[in-house]
Amino acid sequence: MNMSDLQIKFVPLVIAVVVLTSFLLVGLLHKVRESSDYGLGGRSIGRLGSGAAIASNWMSAASFLGMAGFFYLYGYLGLACVIGWTGGYVLLLILLAGQIRRFGKYTAPDFVGERYDSPAARLISALISVTISVIYCAAQFKGIGILFGWLFGLPYTTAVTFGSIAVISYVVFAGSQGVMKNQQLQYTILIISFIVPLMFLAKKLGYFWLLPQFGYGAALPQLSPEFRSSFTLPFAGSSLFQWSALCFTLMVGTAGLPHVLSRFYIVPNIRDARWSLVWGLYFIALIYWSAPAYAVFARLLEAKSGVVPDLATARGMADMIVITAATKGGLPLWLVGVLAAGGLSAAFATVSGLLMTGAASCSHDIYAGLLHPAASEYRKMRVAKGCTLLLALAVYLIAVNPPGLIVEITAVAFALAGNTIFPAFLLGIWWGRANRQGIITGMLLGVLITFAAPLFGTFIPTLATIFPVTSSALCGAPLVILVTIVVSLLTPPPPERIRRFLATEVHGHLD
Amino acid sequence: MSDKQWSEVNLLRPKKGYMGGEVLITSVILIGWGGATFGFQLLQKFLATTPQGENIFTRYTFFNLPLNVWFTGQFLPLWFVILCMIYNLYIDRLTERHSRTRYPYEHE
Repeated sequence: MNMSDLQIKFVPLVIAVVVLTSFLLVGLLHKVRESSDYGLGGRSIGRLGSGAAIASNWMSAASFLGMAGFFYLYGYLGLACVIGWTGGYVLLLILLAGQIRRFGKYTAPDFVGERYDSPAARLISALISVTISVIYCAAQFKGIGILFGWLFGLPYTTAVTFGSIAVISYVVFAGSQGVMKNQQLQYTILIISFIVPLMFLAKKLGYFWLLPQFGYGAALPQLSPEFRSSFTLPFAGSSLFQWSALCFTLMVGTAGLPHVLSRFYIVPNIRDARWSLVWGLYFIALIYWSAPAYAVFARLLEAKSGVVPDLATARGMADMIVITAATKGGLPLWLVGVLAAGGLSAAFATVSGLLMTGAASCSHDIYAGLLHPAASEYRKMRVAKGCTLLLALAVYLIAVNPPGLIVEITAVAFALAGNTIFPAFLLGIWWGRANRQGIITGMLLGVLITFAAPLFGTFIPTLATIFPVTSSALCGAPLVILVTIVVSLLTPPPPERIRRFLATEVHGHLD
Repeated sequence: MSDKQWSEVNLLRPKKGYMGGEVLITSVILIGWGGATFGFQLLQKFLATTPQGENIFTRYTFFNLPLNVWFTGQFLPLWFVILCMIYNLYIDRLTERHSRTRYPYEHE
């Protein structure tokens, strides 16, 4: 770290503050004007607008900072993220979207509790959803810490503490004022702040800048042979199994991620919801086509300067690489500020969404659903507020000493979703015979599988090979599905009421 | 709904009608999804001439990128968008067809 890294950067700081404040202000004005119409509102914004909302809901520090960092470090393996996080939407659309909508329960605990007719299954899925939110948030906090460190010129630990306080204040303020998210505005800011600096960078380095997504390839031959092969040869840095396992895990995780599922169902009509998903996927792809370019340019700048960091150093810098590439590439400081502001707003929005749903789940599913069924609305609200802070504290404790790269932490959350929630939805929708004994066994097994590598990997190395911590769902999800089927067949079928409902309403609504 | 005839829902044994159509298009899209994603990586493994995976696709470039990188990193996300569009078009038609048989005069 050189001296300029330890200085406070005023212009970028002002830009970041202005962007984040403008979201709050627009949200407040929006609230005053149309308090009845909730955020992702219906036909007025249309399918394109809803698509932008889906994409901005999806964009997080993992997309904005983590993906380029992962690509910078692992080359071709990084494409597994690009594919995993887009291909998951195909699974979501064709296997779950329409059917869950006809079922009428959109959050994982609501669906699991109703479909499997079991408070215990509901509780387990609520605990899992909250855990997913906490892990996913930890990756966002790491991103916020890195960006705060750069903006204020602070070391990571101090920066992540300040960043956590800032994001929690933001969430609490937005929550207490009922700020509406303007997700179209947010997506517009995100895409501009990601692509425009990339165009500048491509122009500065002398590549085709109008579409840097296509231009960056020309830089590949300039890289050192080591990175050229890592970026271009499929098995230079990872095996076929590692690549497929990561890709598959991110796919089933996407289809099972609680906040993605529930967000998608606010669109009032199913046909519009299906088509807005197509737009959403396209808008997500726009960012994902560009992320590898930052990584390639970063490696190019290193090759040009002749200082190539060793693997450990590179790992330490990877999550910062988008910003590093922009500064080293000679971009004006204000433009790097725009980039940082985009990353911050992606992380802030994701954290506020996840913490609020996590806290709501604690209060609604765990506290009111199980401990105090008669709790008043006021009491539930108090519990939810308390839970927001408790969850944030848990997230902070993970993020202050981050266990891995942003993408790696995020991938664990996806693996957990893919090993538990995804099988519960898939079997719940497509197999009437799946029952509560089956799914409870399955979800508990899924939790064990997700954490098998860190828990038992040292005693039983095979487990760590079959279920790598970031990519356990390739072998995990099918195993969970199989065990759920076997246990369901060995125990009595679920109530006839539910099986009939599945057959006549979810799959027979037009017969 | 209560007196309607019903049979157990099973993805592998879909009933005729709307669900049959749904399962058919879902299977077709799933093949397109898995084949292009994992099938292509398998094919690269199969065609690899070195342990690092050099193969016919890594030798040609397209849009400045080696063909395998272009296909995986740039074409596949687009392919997913196309798959979703095909699915939606089919389901739109399926829904219209079945709505007509159920309420024959509604669409006149």
